[in-house]
Amino acid sequence: MGKTAELLPGTLDLLILKAVSLRPLHGYGVLLRIQQICRDALKIPQGSLYPALYRLEHQGLIAAEWGQSDNNRRAKYYTLTAAGRARLREETAGWNRLASAIAAALNTKPEEV
Amino acid sequence: MLARLRSLYRALTSRSDFEAGMTEELRFHIRQFAEDLVRSGVVPEEARRRARLEFGAIEAVKEECRGARGLLMPAELGRQFRYTARLLKKTPAFTATALLTVALCLGANLTIFAVLDSILLRGLPFPHAHELVTIFNTYPKAGVERDGSSLPNYYERRGGRIPAFSSLSIYAYGTAIVGEPGSAARDEIMRVSPEFFITLGIGPSLGRGFTEQETTFQTDAVVILSDGYWRQHFHGDLGVIGRQIRVDDNRRTVVGVLPPAFHFLSSDAQLYFPLSSRPEDRVSRYRHSGGDVIQTIARLKPGATLQEAQSQIDLQNARIELDDPQAELMASAGFRSLVVPLHADHVASIRPTLLLLQAGVLVLLVIGVVNLANLLLVRASARAKELAVRQALGASRRHLVCGVLVETTVITLAGGLLGLAAAAGGIRLLAALGADRLPLGARIAVDGRVALAALVGAVAMGIALAIPIVWFHLRGSGTALRSETRSATTGRAAQALRQGFVVAQIALAFVLLDGAGLLGLSLKRAMAVFPGFHPDHVLTGQISMVGKKYPDPLAGLAFSERLVGELERQPGGLAAGVSNNLPFSGYSGKSAATVKGYVLPPGEPPRGLYSYGVGGDYFRAMGFHLRAGRFLTSEDSRRPERVCVVDSDFARHYWPNSSPLGHQLLQGSETGPDREAFTVVGVVDSIKQAGLTDEAAQGAVYYPYIYRPENNIFVVVRAAVSPESLRMTMQKVVRDIDPGLAVNDIRSMDDRITDSLMARRSPALLAGLFCAIALLLTGIGTYGVLSYAVAQRNREIGLRMALGAQPRQIRSQFLALGLRLVIAGLALGSVGSWLVGKVIQAVLFHVPASSPVVLSCAGAIMASISLAACLVPAGRAALVSPMQVLTEQ
Repeated sequence: MGKTAELLPGTLDLLILKAVSLRPLHGYGVLLRIQQICRDALKIPQGSLYPALYRLEHQGLIAAEWGQSDNNRRAKYYTLTAAGRARLREETAGWNRLASAIAAALNTKPEEV
Repeated sequence: MLARLRSLYRALTSRSDFEAGMTEELRFHIRQFAEDLVRSGVVPEEARRRARLEFGAIEAVKEECRGARGLLMPAELGRQFRYTARLLKKTPAFTATALLTVALCLGANLTIFAVLDSILLRGLPFPHAHELVTIFNTYPKAGVERDGSSLPNYYERRGGRIPAFSSLSIYAYGTAIVGEPGSAARDEIMRVSPEFFITLGIGPSLGRGFTEQETTFQTDAVVILSDGYWRQHFHGDLGVIGRQIRVDDNRRTVVGVLPPAFHFLSSDAQLYFPLSSRPEDRVSRYRHSGGDVIQTIARLKPGATLQEAQSQIDLQNARIELDDPQAELMASAGFRSLVVPLHADHVASIRPTLLLLQAGVLVLLVIGVVNLANLLLVRASARAKELAVRQALGASRRHLVCGVLVETTVITLAGGLLGLAAAAGGIRLLAALGADRLPLGARIAVDGRVALAALVGAVAMGIALAIPIVWFHLRGSGTALRSETRSATTGRAAQALRQGFVVAQIALAFVLLDGAGLLGLSLKRAMAVFPGFHPDHVLTGQISMVGKKYPDPLAGLAFSERLVGELERQPGGLAAGVSNNLPFSGYSGKSAATVKGYVLPPGEPPRGLYSYGVGGDYFRAMGFHLRAGRFLTSEDSRRPERVCVVDSDFARHYWPNSSPLGHQLLQGSETGPDREAFTVVGVVDSIKQAGLTDEAAQGAVYYPYIYRPENNIFVVVRAAVSPESLRMTMQKVVRDIDPGLAVNDIRSMDDRITDSLMARRSPALLAGLFCAIALLLTGIGTYGVLSYAVAQRNREIGLRMALGAQPRQIRSQFLALGLRLVIAGLALGSVGSWLVGKVIQAVLFHVPASSPVVLSCAGAIMASISLAACLVPAGRAALVSPMQVLTEQ
């Protein structure tokens, strides 16, 4: 297993929105999906996942519904709402801008100054 | 925002569902995790342990989840509330001012709202009350706006002949002497047609309603009791049906008792009789003889509209009048039968005044809110630093908004509670001003609806007050920490906002003052109107001559002659008379007269004339002025020649260039035989009939009593002394002549005139009261803002004085600031006053919409109060000691 990085504040929400946007997931599924799409590069504190899910649901960005899990257990499934989709687009664009700006800044060579 | 509220609502309403769901969800997570671990080769026991360990403290997670849903708010609110209470306790002067402002403004609003609600808004106490309508005849071109209905109207319309009505009935108000001789009392009664209680939808709870057979004078000796009468006189005896009571010397059998909830409009009737008539009274020639005695109510069929009913009535009128000889005359009088909603019609007269008062008192509320906002802003400035520190230490914006909201709503809710108590007192004050005599005024009360209005008002005020404070904190949060001293913490914008508030306050108070001034001036003008006779030293009363002793008009005449003679013999009694009606009595008593030899020009409508039947020395007792000929005397009722007196309006219309004396006229709208004609023997000055503010006069005719006899007469006596001192004498004289009779409604003529102005006086008084509060609040507001401006610039003033500025200069600088605010307020206010004048024009009497006198008086008062409020702070500024200020820092 490679090195894991700490999560930057605010990024968990973004990752949850992304994970849920791919297909409806239950809480545990969200955790697995994030780990999968980050290729296990990020450490997700399990305890902070649920408060984040509840907050996003409270803000109307994701919606929850009870359904059946693969092994036939009752589980709460989260889906992205229209507002959530818009927010995901916005945050993704913002994140990309920030990331490229930081990357550009960090790649500056002495002769460019 | 909406989604969050919905989510919080769901979480709160199904708290247990929420908790169970959360537990299940977290347990599912751990179980799945553990299973995955087992699948990767971990021993089940160990897998479960690790799953729980990695998840972290479940209870802490749950608490965080609750927080994310806003479920922690109650606890947070509690903390904020305790903090606010502590703050308020620390500043008792501020707290008291704020609470008093809210209590006063909200209390005044609630008082007026209670009246408005019970009179205009709350429906009548009948099932589907919106279906109830009234129908009345109107002859606008003859000057008769309202003439009730006639018996033929009723018999022609009832029984489904107007398809839009499911039921139609008539009623008439009246009084009767009820009880055995010795313990008889005069009670309000109503005569009603058989389907009356069916139309209303509430009938007797005991016994039955009236039947069709009980509508003739031979068979109508039955009575239905009100709940109050039944309890008081029969102690709620269930066996009361079939028992008899004595009414006007006759016996009536009780056939029913009404439920306690039965209240018909403003009537206080104790007993209900059938509305009896003779078959010959129901024929078409009496179709237009309503005389505003009989009134119609009807219930619209479900789904039927007012317009349908109106067009059906119009259609029927048109059909009936095809063979009516009076039709043409009535058409030229603009005759129509109008169908209008019962409730709206009953309160139509008071509606504009109530709406006006509510609007005025709302302005007062706005002034109060602005004042309070200013006080809170000053306080917020003092706390700017504290809040900035808290924000820097991590308090969120939501936290801050929540804190401010709690603070303002705690103040407004507490003030609202006091306001509710104030409203209870206010209603008593209004009752003293005559509110309970308004239509439906008896049901005015502080009830659940008013309490709900108080709650809504208080919360709305709390939110409105929070807005500028939140704005101030969020805006100033960056600078507050950086600045060293308190004086620098408030920006220019906050100062401008406070000054804007003062300007708004002055403008609103000015508008209110101007409006009240217009109402006051209008009242003064109305009071200054000469009624056309001399009402001073005149005592009046009403007597109802009922019973076997008064079978015919002659018996009534004999009684009135004895009464007048006795009264004139009393010490202090100068002249006495009787009449079937009095000016300012509230009864219109209009009817038509036909002048012999006068050909009605085509298109000229007949005239509705005030027609009186007078006896004794009525004219001298009332203080009429004789223009020509002679007054009527007692003997005119006994002599074979028929004579009458007309007033100058009548004379001017029919005989513009000659004397009316010797000309003849007939009662009613048709010509008749010569022997029924009345010869004009006198002309008197016209008088104000319905009220001092009457404009169009149609004229009046005075006949001898015997030609317009009525059982209900008014007695008037002119006194050499104070009229009130004859009150006992009047009662004694009547009792001496007939112990079975009583005088009621004894009032001096002056009082009757004064009472007739109630609809003008009470609003003017209330508006004056609102103004006083508004002026007080504006004074406080201006003072507060100026004081704060001075305190804030203490250091600057000190420095300037140290550098040689004169106290006079400092003082005039602040006075100039005050003056600027006052001028801006007055300029804004005069625009508002102009608009308000236009709106209230309809209720003004002989006062223009914008009166320069009122405007300049209001402006002067406003300016002097505001400037007086500036004087103290400006003086304080001039007294700033440079040494003290400089050493303080």
